[in-house]
Amino acid sequence: MNTIKGLLLKDLDVFKNFKGNIIFSAFMFIFLITIGSVRSEIFTFGSILFLIFFGMNSISSFSYDENAETDKYLLSLPISRKDIVLSKYLFVFLNSFIALIIGIFISFIITIIVRGKVNNIGDSLRICLIAFTSVSFLMGANIPCIYKWGVEKGRMQSVIIPALFIFLIGTFGSLLLLLFPELYTNINLLYIFKISPYICLILNILIYVISYLISYKIFFKKSI
Amino acid sequence: MEHNLEVINLTKNYPEFQLKKINIKLPKGKIIGLIGENGSGKTTTIKAILNLISYDKGNIIIFGKDNKDLTKIDREQIGIVLDDSFFSPILNVNDINKLMKYFYHNWNEKLYYETIKKFKIPCNKPLKEFSSGMKMKIKVLCAIAHKPKLLILDEPTNGLDPIFRYEIIELFNNFVSNSENSILMTTHITSDLEHLADEVIFIDDGHIILDVSKKEIDNEYGIVELLENDFINLNNEDYIKCLKYKNAIYILVNPKYKFQKKYPKLEIRKPSLEELMLLLVKGD
Repeated sequence: MNTIKGLLLKDLDVFKNFKGNIIFSAFMFIFLITIGSVRSEIFTFGSILFLIFFGMNSISSFSYDENAETDKYLLSLPISRKDIVLSKYLFVFLNSFIALIIGIFISFIITIIVRGKVNNIGDSLRICLIAFTSVSFLMGANIPCIYKWGVEKGRMQSVIIPALFIFLIGTFGSLLLLLFPELYTNINLLYIFKISPYICLILNILIYVISYLISYKIFFKKSI
Repeated sequence: MEHNLEVINLTKNYPEFQLKKINIKLPKGKIIGLIGENGSGKTTTIKAILNLISYDKGNIIIFGKDNKDLTKIDREQIGIVLDDSFFSPILNVNDINKLMKYFYHNWNEKLYYETIKKFKIPCNKPLKEFSSGMKMKIKVLCAIAHKPKLLILDEPTNGLDPIFRYEIIELFNNFVSNSENSILMTTHITSDLEHLADEVIFIDDGHIILDVSKKEIDNEYGIVELLENDFINLNNEDYIKCLKYKNAIYILVNPKYKFQKKYPKLEIRKPSLEELMLLLVKGD
């Protein structure tokens, strides 16, 4: 457990390098959320902005490790390949999750201050969770590509593979609706939206577990 | 004699390179220097020892166990310096100390900071602002501050000026002085090994061409500088290798007393490791 804590701390230190950018971006986002909240009483926009920007920043920790060949060094210490992969997934997950929570909190407060009230809290939270799952999906597809080809060499694959998945899922959905048009009713869509937190929870677990297993298998066989 | 590290018939095949039957026996209290040209197989050997790459044949035994069966506790007894890899350059000395405390149970913070002070390394500067020599000092410090029994060092004196090198060499000599610890190190700067190594292994094109104690080099090997006329009078079996350089011909002889007996007028001197490597690799 200590090793994992150390590895998480190492990745967190990466953010030291762009402390200035983070503070500047946070202020920019707060400004945008304030403008947005004048027009709307829902707080999804700002939350998703935080989630995408800060959550996906965790990928840069792979880049720092690759440039310094840190994995090679870490593996020569009493650290296993499993520890390294697990800590990366924990870092990516926690980073996205904390970014979302902070985004929701800030957007909520700003909306209250500007509009005096917040509407559709449940729906807004559902949309935020769907956005979180989409980010998880992108990260889950990206990380095995990074382990396989590296951050630089795997740049193309990191775009193509998630896009391919989205295309396949979209095609499958369209086919399903073509074969069973009765599925496409407002009631079903509303029902799916209502139960979306449960679906998101299951999808997030599936995405992270499957992606972790693939990454671990790749990294285990890799010559460093 | 007990060994901290044994490499037995290590073989690794790449499409364009082959590491062939590498054998190393590193006893407690000794230092072995692994030398050879760039791309000769030194780093591949180190990587195989550290289990960073798989290998096709052979065994690697560390502290009496196969290197694949080492536990975390066993691995805490090993200190590593790798020439080309370390923590991210945005970290500073204090950050590294914090991380190492998580990775090693017996991380000696006091020893770490004492040596940092001795080496005059600033604590709050990120690694990227250090010279390569300073960075190497921190790497060496990270390798010894948890009191390991075995040090595996890949080019540890790279980028160091002579005074830094002297300090590091002193550190290594102190490390093995308890007769329990050992060091395996690769280096291009063969002069460092003159003062440090008990045994020297030359690797060329993936195989060992010479494995010899420093004592044996000093006592048995000799180098003779000859003019072409003198060289013509020698028999082929009188020397191991010869190399023409500028107007002179240099020959490597072993055993030197036999050569001296046969040619008493020729002057024999002790070869440096650099000369020995050059003659063995480039000589005819």
